[in-house]
Amino acid sequence: MSDPVAPCSRPTADAPPLRTSITLPQPGTVLLDVHGEVDTLTAPPLEQALSDLLAEQEADRLVVDLSGVTFLASSGLAVLIRAAHRAADRRLRLRLVTASRAVRRPLQITGSEQLFDMYEDVSAAVD
Amino acid sequence: MSDLDFPTSAETLDGVSTVEVRTSANAALIPTIRAVASDLAARADFDLDAISDLRMAVDEACATLVDVAAPSSSLRCTFLVRRERIEVRAEVNAGQPDAAVSTDTFGWRVLQTLADDVQALRTPGVDGNGPTVGIRLDKHAGDAPR
Repeated sequence: MSDPVAPCSRPTADAPPLRTSITLPQPGTVLLDVHGEVDTLTAPPLEQALSDLLAEQEADRLVVDLSGVTFLASSGLAVLIRAAHRAADRRLRLRLVTASRAVRRPLQITGSEQLFDMYEDVSAAVD
Repeated sequence: MSDLDFPTSAETLDGVSTVEVRTSANAALIPTIRAVASDLAARADFDLDAISDLRMAVDEACATLVDVAAPSSSLRCTFLVRRERIEVRAEVNAGQPDAAVSTDTFGWRVLQTLADDVQALRTPGVDGNGPTVGIRLDKHAGDAPR
């Protein structure tokens, strides 16, 4: 048993992880807004948020705004790719809004951008 | 020996600057290591894609190693900054005697795509300690200026 008064081994427990929110900008369109860094620690909350997005059965336009994402690791890519496959089961393609190299580069270099419809700004993606 | 004998830059005689970062083997500290990687690449005039690739490659290597690290152990990450390229060696003491870096994962394939060269390293443990496992990767600065 470890000592219950031992100092916490997670020194950055207050680190800003990931912020996500889901909105319905117009009928049939659901928008998931993501802010922060997507890495091995924050990929699970992103996966949960994507599940919530995919649970919107009425929607035929699923948009993920990654403009506020400043880092995307392979764990985050894997989560996005799984979501793309789940959307494909519903004959939908996820729309990704990517504004920065930090997000575009990982998608490009792994060839995974072909799984998504890519947009540079959110207004075009929800339209 | 005069003051002039002191090196005027961080560069050593063989043209390599070394930066070593050592943290607890904890995923929450990887953002710090990848920030160092990014900073070194930017200062070494890497192009923007190469900076992004190195940051992601270092993150991937460290995340892979933290997964197999023994409890309360350290993650050691050494950056050898050379002209036009950075070599990174990351290693941990593994918890399990049969621990190794798995190379049949999506993350490893991404790592191979990001780096110009990547190798898994393993040194068997002695005296009942787990093995030392590591990853060595090499990243070039990008398109050479004409």
